[in-house]
Amino acid sequence: MSTLRIRGGHVVDPQHGDDAPRDLFVRDGRIVAPLPGVDEEVDDDIDATGCVVMAGGIDMHTHIGGGKVNLARMLLPEDHRNNPPRPPSALELASCGGCVPGTLLTGYRYVQMGYTAAFEPAMVAANARHAHMEMGDTPILDHGAYVMLGNDELFLEMLARGDDFQHIRDYAGWVINASKAMGVKVVNPAGISAFKFNQRKLDVDEAQVHWQVTPRQVLQTLARALHELGVPHPLHVHGSNLGVAGNIESTLQTIQALEGLPAHLTHIQFHAYGKEGPKKFSSAALQLAEAVNANPNISIDVGQIMFGQTVTASGDTMRQHAQSGLANPRKWVGMDIENEAGCGIVPFRYREQSYVNALQWAIGLEIFLLVNDPWRVVLTTDHPNGGPFTSYPHLIRLLMDRSFRNEQLARLHPDVAANAALRSITRELTLSEIATMTRAAPARLLGLRDRGHLGVGAAADVVLYRDAADREAMFSTPEYVFKDGALVARAGRITAVPVGGSHFVEPDYDRGIEKRLRKHFAAHGQVNFDHVAIGRDELCSCCNGGRLLPTACFEGRTT
Amino acid sequence: MNDVTGPWTCPFCPLLCDSFGVDVGPHGALSLAGSDCPRAAAALTRFSDKAAVSSPAVLGRPCDLETAVAKAAALLAASRQPLFGGLGTDAAGARALYTLACATGAICDPAQGSALMQGVRALQDRGGFSTTLAELRTRADLVLCFGGLPAARYPEFFARAGLAKDDARVLVLAEGADGADHFDAASQLAALVEGRPVPCAAAPLRAAAARLQAARYAVLVYETAQLGPHGALVIEMLQRTVATLNRRTRAAALALGGADGAATVNQVFTWLSGLPLRSRAGVHGLEHEPLSFDAVRLCADGAVDLLLWVASFGTEPAPPDGVLPRIVLGHPMLAAAAADVFIPVATPGIGSDGHLFRTDGVVLMPLHAVRADTLPTVADVLRRLSSALGPPQ
Repeated sequence: MSTLRIRGGHVVDPQHGDDAPRDLFVRDGRIVAPLPGVDEEVDDDIDATGCVVMAGGIDMHTHIGGGKVNLARMLLPEDHRNNPPRPPSALELASCGGCVPGTLLTGYRYVQMGYTAAFEPAMVAANARHAHMEMGDTPILDHGAYVMLGNDELFLEMLARGDDFQHIRDYAGWVINASKAMGVKVVNPAGISAFKFNQRKLDVDEAQVHWQVTPRQVLQTLARALHELGVPHPLHVHGSNLGVAGNIESTLQTIQALEGLPAHLTHIQFHAYGKEGPKKFSSAALQLAEAVNANPNISIDVGQIMFGQTVTASGDTMRQHAQSGLANPRKWVGMDIENEAGCGIVPFRYREQSYVNALQWAIGLEIFLLVNDPWRVVLTTDHPNGGPFTSYPHLIRLLMDRSFRNEQLARLHPDVAANAALRSITRELTLSEIATMTRAAPARLLGLRDRGHLGVGAAADVVLYRDAADREAMFSTPEYVFKDGALVARAGRITAVPVGGSHFVEPDYDRGIEKRLRKHFAAHGQVNFDHVAIGRDELCSCCNGGRLLPTACFEGRTT
Repeated sequence: MNDVTGPWTCPFCPLLCDSFGVDVGPHGALSLAGSDCPRAAAALTRFSDKAAVSSPAVLGRPCDLETAVAKAAALLAASRQPLFGGLGTDAAGARALYTLACATGAICDPAQGSALMQGVRALQDRGGFSTTLAELRTRADLVLCFGGLPAARYPEFFARAGLAKDDARVLVLAEGADGADHFDAASQLAALVEGRPVPCAAAPLRAAAARLQAARYAVLVYETAQLGPHGALVIEMLQRTVATLNRRTRAAALALGGADGAATVNQVFTWLSGLPLRSRAGVHGLEHEPLSFDAVRLCADGAVDLLLWVASFGTEPAPPDGVLPRIVLGHPMLAAAAADVFIPVATPGIGSDGHLFRTDGVVLMPLHAVRADTLPTVADVLRRLSSALGPPQ
């Protein structure tokens, strides 16, 4: 058992209030307390003077694996033909792509930036084995996924019939267990199903055309179910009316509908639009930030947009179909999926000279800077929907460096450059706030007790960034990246490719529900009920033999 | 079926039915139970022959696995441009195949690669809107089978779709047509659905367009392999019809194809590398050539100097005739394929567990072994081959 000392680095660990130079000790893949007579005990000693030391980054909302991601790859060979050169190290296998890279390249690139975990936010239960396989083939990174509920016909039918809440809760518990998920995401509550019945729009209090239930009911039921099941990550919400001018109204109604229950509103930038001004499209970042500041049960990730080519991959068929006319290049893929979900993939190019795109960019940054509590804001681009995850270092610089931010703003569509509220926001995020938004907060929101911080007992996912005034350069290429104590990247070069671990939760539920589910699958399904659930051994083989990392649930709570 | 861990999943067509089973006879012979699917029954007869060779062989002489792997590795190391063909394996085999393809710079194209590429190219050029089996069964009020009824090649299709043999919801167009007729029918249908005048359109096409426009949820079903050498254009036209319908009502397409592991290997290669099949990891990085990396053409042109053929699901698809040195990883009865190296392998869903993608590309079905098998899996053999080759230079 060897001991590693990381000496003299500026340790930034918001969970423990650390923001000063100190030594860090690693043994057996964990952070350990300094031992007396330590010099004799240390086998490896790294001089971290001049470096900022943080826990490994955690991306809690990034589309890295599963059916729609692979469809996006198939749709865009042009994104992949622009190849990177031959792999720089013999450890890497060939893999390519810009906005939807192959899983291999996804793992390498994340790790080269100092990230050690990533979570797929939109796993379809029918496609769960596939999603786990892709994540297992994403090297080095730990991973997990949120399973989609709230558009499956069984859930909507139970809600419509006024079934006992306990049955719906048990069904949610069963789906989480069966698909080996880390949480539950609802996408356009009842709206994906509505599109299958040819409904094209659905507001929070509007009845779904077939089941006559409202998004409000779906949100309340799912949020309460997760709360009672004790799932650490609260309901992950992709709200109604994504991308629609004036959708701030839906977003505020969504927050209200949750009635104080914990929830995580994702890619909130796409849901913070007003309809003021001559173009009937305006920033509602201030209204949103006020609502988030006033509701401590709500956390968000931003879904910042970045200029350039990307592809939007979403479960929201209703909204993706509506946006498909904007596809660039002009092609898109949609799918209705197994009575439970959908997906839509629309390539998109965000342009600096587009008023709408420029404003979207400003809105995202305004949200980052106007929400007071960094523990409830997670840094994301909703990869690849707002832009590829490789743009995070640039985003960090925008948040930490006001003059750089205003230079970028000045290049945009003149109406936005002249009038955006962003211009007058002076806040510059600190290293500690960045560490919170990129590791500590996501770990806490997911219930990962030994990740996202550098306290004694934490997993030794440790990153050393060379401190530099240019934060983009600093966060692009850390000097050292350790995963569970093993050096996996050194100055941008991959040095080891361990298989990442798989995070999931196993909430308790009443197995009596399975009788009903067996009947439902026999009547409406296309898979034998006994084939639906993924066992631990099968998960392990899907995930390439990586470690299984079950996260403890809270004691079940009834409200 | 004492030690079976779940219901049997039939691996022999991309519908991957799991509602019927297999009886194992006293000598290991297999027979279908609970279905009369001729495709499954025929495939199972190839697992009854106890006399089948189950030992690896080099130049027809039986040898142990180590010897066969060493010889295969030597052939791969000496090859300037290997071709990996057949690709009849499951997800685990595909993962191992990619590592070996990277190490050797091999071009990978499945059996029936041209059919697979029709769908891939249509997607790359225009995208499309599709659906899955459960949606079809629950929702469709009109099922347009383009090019004929799928029952001949997908005998369980109607049962899976919840359709009676003479179901009023089923409509057949362009039955028995060839490639050019397919295109004419599909493009005229697209124009009619758009409401454009098509004076030359036949009455059945006009009727079909009217029914599509009136349907609440129409599903256009086609078999990619039946659409001819320009199938991508036919698919594009069918997708145009779907897109037009989706402006006012709902519609989606369902493609049938990707059997014998082709769709599965394509999915796995796409997620690992970013690019679909007909690609290679060459000296200039990854290259994807959906037309010129055609195995048949490469063999005919002498553009490859070694064939590694993988066929774990049966004796078909058999490796193409030719003079190329060849390594065959296959069903024991493929020993007769005159390979330089032959290694018999287990069939996923018969002799080993595994995973395959269903025809709609959504559900990755688990497969379970129905009898104990001493044969290695494709993934086992490929991993041995990769380690015998050593790390890439």
